[in-house]
Amino acid sequence: MNIDLYGSLLTAMAILLGAAVIVPILSSKRKLAGWVNFILVAVAGVMLLNISYITIFQGGGAETQKIMGIYFLIDGFSAFFIAIISFLAIMSAFYSIQYMEHYPDYKLWSYYLTFPLFIIGMIGIVTVDDLSTGFTIAWQLMTIASYFLIRFEYRTEGNVRNANKYLILMELAWVFIIVATFLINGSAVGDSLHQLIEKMGATSGMTLYIVYGLLLVGFGFKAGMFPFGQLWLPDAHSIAPSPISALLSGVMIKTGVYGIIRTFFWMVPAEGYDGQLWGIVIASFGVVTLFIGTNQALKQVDAKRLHAYHSIGQMGYIILGIGSALVMLNSASVTVKLLSVIAIVGALYHTLNHTVFKGLLFLSTGSVLYATGTKDLNKLGGLMKLMPVTAVVAGIASLSIAGMPAFSGFASKWTIISSNILAGSRIMFLVIFGIIALFISAVTLASYVKFFGMTFASSGVEWTVAKKIKEVPATMLIPKLILAILCLVQGLFPFIYFGLFISIFKNSAGSILQPIFSEIMFDGMVVNNAMGVAVTVPGMQGMVSSVAVPLVVLAVLAAAYVFAWLLRKSGGAEEKEAPTWLCGYQDLNNKNRYVAHNMYSAFKKALRWTGGNIKK
Amino acid sequence: MDILYIVVNILVFLALAPFFEGVVRRVTARVVQSRQGPPLAQPYWDILKLLGKQNLSPGNLAFKIAPVVALASILSVIMFLPLGYRENALSQYADVITLIYLLTLGGVACLLGAISSKNAYALVGSSREMITMIMVEPVLAMTLILGAVKVKSLAIPASVLSVTGAGYGASVIIMLVVYLMALQAFVGRQPFDIAEAEVEILEGPFIEYSGPNLALFKYYMLLKQMFYAALFVIVFIPAIKTGFYGLDVLIQLGFVLLVYVLIAVLGSTHPRLRIDQAQKIYAVLIVASLVAVGLSVYGI
Repeated sequence: MNIDLYGSLLTAMAILLGAAVIVPILSSKRKLAGWVNFILVAVAGVMLLNISYITIFQGGGAETQKIMGIYFLIDGFSAFFIAIISFLAIMSAFYSIQYMEHYPDYKLWSYYLTFPLFIIGMIGIVTVDDLSTGFTIAWQLMTIASYFLIRFEYRTEGNVRNANKYLILMELAWVFIIVATFLINGSAVGDSLHQLIEKMGATSGMTLYIVYGLLLVGFGFKAGMFPFGQLWLPDAHSIAPSPISALLSGVMIKTGVYGIIRTFFWMVPAEGYDGQLWGIVIASFGVVTLFIGTNQALKQVDAKRLHAYHSIGQMGYIILGIGSALVMLNSASVTVKLLSVIAIVGALYHTLNHTVFKGLLFLSTGSVLYATGTKDLNKLGGLMKLMPVTAVVAGIASLSIAGMPAFSGFASKWTIISSNILAGSRIMFLVIFGIIALFISAVTLASYVKFFGMTFASSGVEWTVAKKIKEVPATMLIPKLILAILCLVQGLFPFIYFGLFISIFKNSAGSILQPIFSEIMFDGMVVNNAMGVAVTVPGMQGMVSSVAVPLVVLAVLAAAYVFAWLLRKSGGAEEKEAPTWLCGYQDLNNKNRYVAHNMYSAFKKALRWTGGNIKK
Repeated sequence: MDILYIVVNILVFLALAPFFEGVVRRVTARVVQSRQGPPLAQPYWDILKLLGKQNLSPGNLAFKIAPVVALASILSVIMFLPLGYRENALSQYADVITLIYLLTLGGVACLLGAISSKNAYALVGSSREMITMIMVEPVLAMTLILGAVKVKSLAIPASVLSVTGAGYGASVIIMLVVYLMALQAFVGRQPFDIAEAEVEILEGPFIEYSGPNLALFKYYMLLKQMFYAALFVIVFIPAIKTGFYGLDVLIQLGFVLLVYVLIAVLGSTHPRLRIDQAQKIYAVLIVASLVAVGLSVYGI
């Protein structure tokens, strides 16, 4: 079966490579090229999803294998990342078919050449098992391919400059990681992670700190960690074509998360690794990232920049989850140790949720851009009637990212925040981190109330957009609907995903988390079923932690909704539609509109120091 | 029995929230402003009358469902509340974080309704409402977390009922004072009624609402006000357990009445602040409650 897994991994990569060769030739027939690209990406994607499925649900993964001089490793953990990358790649390729019609002035060969290469690069990052040869090939492929995708609209002023900045910073990140690898005593080109771990044992204490520091900065660049993310992420994500933005925010920055977890939980020598310290460092970076990133996002009026800054903010949640899991794991208390299970599961859960809802948000904004020609929230408004389907899916995505109960973001944020608060009863700073995360969740909500309200509710396009606006075609709606359904499923059935992530960590050999995952008597301590997720520890009274059961909460809400609806009907009042009255003005008009940049101005003024400000 | 507690919660809140509002109006009129004031039953008549009036809307879906969602969310929150110190059948299905998010859902419904009404005043109001939500939500969260940290559990009854469990330490006293100061902001009254600001932006978010929709929003506001008053009583007044459920509830309602009198007096003697001024006060409250939570980790 091992041969089978690696065989199909290589086949899938070969198919993608084939797509990169064939599709550019066809690119003068734009629609055809789109379809061929989609079919080839879908075939490769399905093969990759199958690899993930076998690895996670049937086998528990394969051994490291050397293919063409490069070590590969597919275990449960990398299989998860393979799955999200290939899934979103399929969605994005499907969406591209119609979306690229929106660029009649640009030739498409470069787009269809680099799109599959970009996917190969990302798959490579999460499957190669070294930090030198294979890693370099994958990283360069991913970086250079995405560079050309980002500078696709090269005629627009400033885009090439921003893309160049992206390229330079990603190369810098690569240098950090490579230098870290070669600082390890006696490491050679092409060493697998196992060999590196052994050699790390012989590396002196101080060097080891530098190695981990460099790795954190290197992968932190990719993951959008403060302050590195602010340097490139909003500029790069906002100028790329929307399906590419979805891939960049949805999965590419997750390879940074993969790198951080892989190095800080797997690449750990038996001695000389200060998990507590690195946990505190990573968690602090996480909390600063989510605070600054989200507050900067609140100030944005360009929809895609807003999503991009929120990517930084949401990555902060994931990084906080990773860091606090590391802190908890190194605690002396059994309770807190158990909570590290919950925290790391939360980090991975949020990674999955963020992939889905951020992908959906970028695709929705792409549709708005396609239909209206603008992504400026000051100009948009009132699209709910004109683009009802896009409005509904964007609403679901907004509620998900804001973490409303029964939507996907709630379950994962709940997991991260609650484990931090509970662990805080022993480790004081974690409770503070948890509270900051909760506070920022409200800021996220504010930002998405603005995004949704100012795009789909409110008013504006009547005066600011000259062309006739209609809903986008079905090929652009289908990927969004699939993602929206996933948002709902991931929010409603958290116990499925908890089970999934627990088995991923249980079956992925070699991590410092594995002992605690396999030691847990799941019957006694972690309750995980349709009735919710709870952790209890013997000898302590009652439940330590309980997850809200979204289904029950939803049922309660539904019952209350019916009551409220009946109450409204009870008086038998007559219904009438009338235009909005504007205190003396007969009709609404563009001059009297309240536009997006006015929202929350007092709050934004108080938080000027967080940066990311918009000039009027 | 467990189901009964939920029914009692809902009935008590639905029945008494307008009455307490009547008390606030009466106290404001008689005690502070030297006038007669409306009858105690006036808020009931207001809601009943609005239910029969014409329901105007600018014709979009979000505008129509917003009031229903708002009322539904606050009713759900009330169902989870351990009134009379009793856990009910729903307690185990949610924790304090869920409670906080559910409360936020009501606020969001208000905002979306306001924004889809397209009225500029409604948008001004919703912008202010959101700032208030961002800034006072942490105070609520930390009140609940204070208990959660003490019992190492996020379950609603455990964390809500255990804040005063070990007596009034410094952390509890700080939190109590902070909660009282934030109370006017929670319930949207002066000096923090910035979002509605009747004389300035004409009830802000609700300006375009009329008839049954407005009745639902009014009910939502009344219930929210009573929830925050009751939460104060449950969290900060040490349990006087008589052993009889009905009596326990009555005693708590007595305390709720006192909180309402306080709300009325504070509300009618303070002028409205601007949002940027209020924001500074909220920031101080947040820092103070962070200190309280920090102290409570060390058992102070």
